[in-house]
Amino acid sequence: MKSADKKERLKRIKEDIGREKFEEAFLSLKRISEPEDAFFLQHKYCALFNSIPKDVIKLTNVRIAILAGSTVTHFVAVFKYWLAQTGLSAVIYEAGYDTVSQSILDPASSLYSFAPDITMIFTSYRDLKFDVGQGASIEDSNKAVEEAVEGYVTLWEQLKKNSSTFIIQNNADLPSCRTLGNYEGTAPWGRVSLLRAFNVALAKAVQAGVALFDLEYISSVYGKRKWHDSRFWYHSKHAFSLDATGLVAFEAARLVGSIKGFSKKCLVLDLDNTLWGGIIGDDGVHGIVLGNGAAGEAFVDFQQYLLGLKNRGIILTVCSKNEEELAKEPFLQHPDMQLKLEDIAVFKANWEDKVANISAIADELNIGLEHMVFVDDNPAEREIVRKYLPMVAIPDMPEDPSGYIEALDRHSYFEVISFSDADQVRNEYYRDNVSRKQLRTQSRDLTEYLQSLRMEATVSRFDDLNLARIAQLINKSNQFHLTTTRYTETEIAAMMSDKQKHCLYFRLKDCFGDNGLISVVILEEQEGDTLYIDTWSMSCRVFARGMEQFIANEIVLLARQRNVQSIIGKYVPTRKNKIVSDLYEKLHFSLVQEQDGVTMWELPLTGNPPVYETYINKLTLD
Amino acid sequence: MTTAHREKVRKKLNDIFCEVFNDDDIVISENMTADDIEEWDSLMHVTLIVAIEGEFGIQLNAAEIGQLENIGAMLALLEKLPEE
Repeated sequence: MKSADKKERLKRIKEDIGREKFEEAFLSLKRISEPEDAFFLQHKYCALFNSIPKDVIKLTNVRIAILAGSTVTHFVAVFKYWLAQTGLSAVIYEAGYDTVSQSILDPASSLYSFAPDITMIFTSYRDLKFDVGQGASIEDSNKAVEEAVEGYVTLWEQLKKNSSTFIIQNNADLPSCRTLGNYEGTAPWGRVSLLRAFNVALAKAVQAGVALFDLEYISSVYGKRKWHDSRFWYHSKHAFSLDATGLVAFEAARLVGSIKGFSKKCLVLDLDNTLWGGIIGDDGVHGIVLGNGAAGEAFVDFQQYLLGLKNRGIILTVCSKNEEELAKEPFLQHPDMQLKLEDIAVFKANWEDKVANISAIADELNIGLEHMVFVDDNPAEREIVRKYLPMVAIPDMPEDPSGYIEALDRHSYFEVISFSDADQVRNEYYRDNVSRKQLRTQSRDLTEYLQSLRMEATVSRFDDLNLARIAQLINKSNQFHLTTTRYTETEIAAMMSDKQKHCLYFRLKDCFGDNGLISVVILEEQEGDTLYIDTWSMSCRVFARGMEQFIANEIVLLARQRNVQSIIGKYVPTRKNKIVSDLYEKLHFSLVQEQDGVTMWELPLTGNPPVYETYINKLTLD
Repeated sequence: MTTAHREKVRKKLNDIFCEVFNDDDIVISENMTADDIEEWDSLMHVTLIVAIEGEFGIQLNAAEIGQLENIGAMLALLEKLPEE
């Protein structure tokens, strides 16, 4: 859409807002706004978004501090807009111009009284001064780079010491001008060499609780000559072109979204003209375009890109208007198919509408529609799904398959801040889960079904090795999460050494495979001899299989070992966690308090504490 | 320089002000400065400059960006541009 057309659309959105059609206005904004749009348009998006009342659009709150060595006021406004389009309502603290170190090193600074969830150290190459002369030795050049990295690591450590914030650190955007041309990136003392070495060393220094914001990547994608606009550096200390603000804000919002559990988890893929060229029902398995020729190679590469996503934990599913048997033929027979049937967690090939099919896929996988991305070459299909399932992300795909990867990639849907082994095998879990459901329909009753799963579980204390996955479970679970607590890895690490706290995680295996680390419980011994369940979150993959009962038994066991009088549970209702609203009731806790929907439950341990029935065997660890 | 051209430039600049400040009632005048429009702060100034650059298809230099803090100066600069 051209800039002039966007302006016309914005007028209509303004009218919608005037008529209090706020949700439509917000969705229309989402539809037309693009990260690459000029600053002038970004400014208009912000103005319109700000005229929508805060409580109308359901967003999750986040507190972000931005510490910068350049002017970022223009960025903050646009950042808020793109955070909202990622699902977050941000309160942003902007530290005084060029007060990065001061704010962090002073424990009494207003940064800490603001108590940010996330702190962005928003630096650019201009913040880095290497004291290295021309012709300096490799050793001296390396030393200068190390010192610069250590400077930032010290800031991270101070931030962690003084607060429980998550940290986002910018790397250096390389400048476009080079005194020595190519040689500036050859000699170890050249500025390009030093900045490159700095970026590599900074990435190596990243630790738990810190994520890198790759400004170098963004400036390259944007185009260095446009990115650096010296006029606004000299005039008002803007570190990059105003027109790049949207892209920077968008990418930063996606990274924050990932930290807060808003990344996408599942891809729903069309088949004909999406994974291969042509129509399988008409052209047959040997007639479709795949492997040979320009288009055929593009489809192969697109499949490989999808496979890369699958291998790092994104669930792949298929939704196609086709005969199932025919639709599966390329997967089984075509030599150039990169995706195999076992890569697909749910395969829907039928003649029902895609809205119903996508909803069914979400149900079967037990994941929210807001975590799904729908890829289809057909604009009509995209439009109808967009209309009925506005929470599903739907990228516009070009007609030419050679642009498919970029069309999907540019949305940064699948941003991650860490990588655990569990991510790699998630697709298998979900596929196994679908098999489990099929077994369930075959089994005569629930007990028989649960027994047939031959489940085995373990309980362990939190450990460093699993910290990333533990934080992920606490911060990304929405459905089975009683108290909605969110903790950073730094906060979790602190709890591990707190004697009043008992931090447990659970793993579950069954006849279909290993489900991995699927539940986390944080218990706190409180005054009055009670054990309070501060956090209980569980992966939605293992709902209603007796794991709740297994965990409750472990909580009771621990409570008895600690000699407490009762266990206290709390339920904080949200839009997504209704599934556990009656969990404590089912576990025979009694309701002791209710305020604004938040309920408190108690299980006295005097007399005979309950033993909950479960079909899961406890495995003892060596 | 024709009066018609001046009026055209003034109208175009007025539209930019209305759009940037999201207020259709703004009527600009030669003597107006940042003090006369409450929201006209340093951020809005930069926003205005970028909008003017886009609408008039020009690129101002760093010194000019700083000098355009009243509407008289803006008009004087824009009126000097060749007519479309």
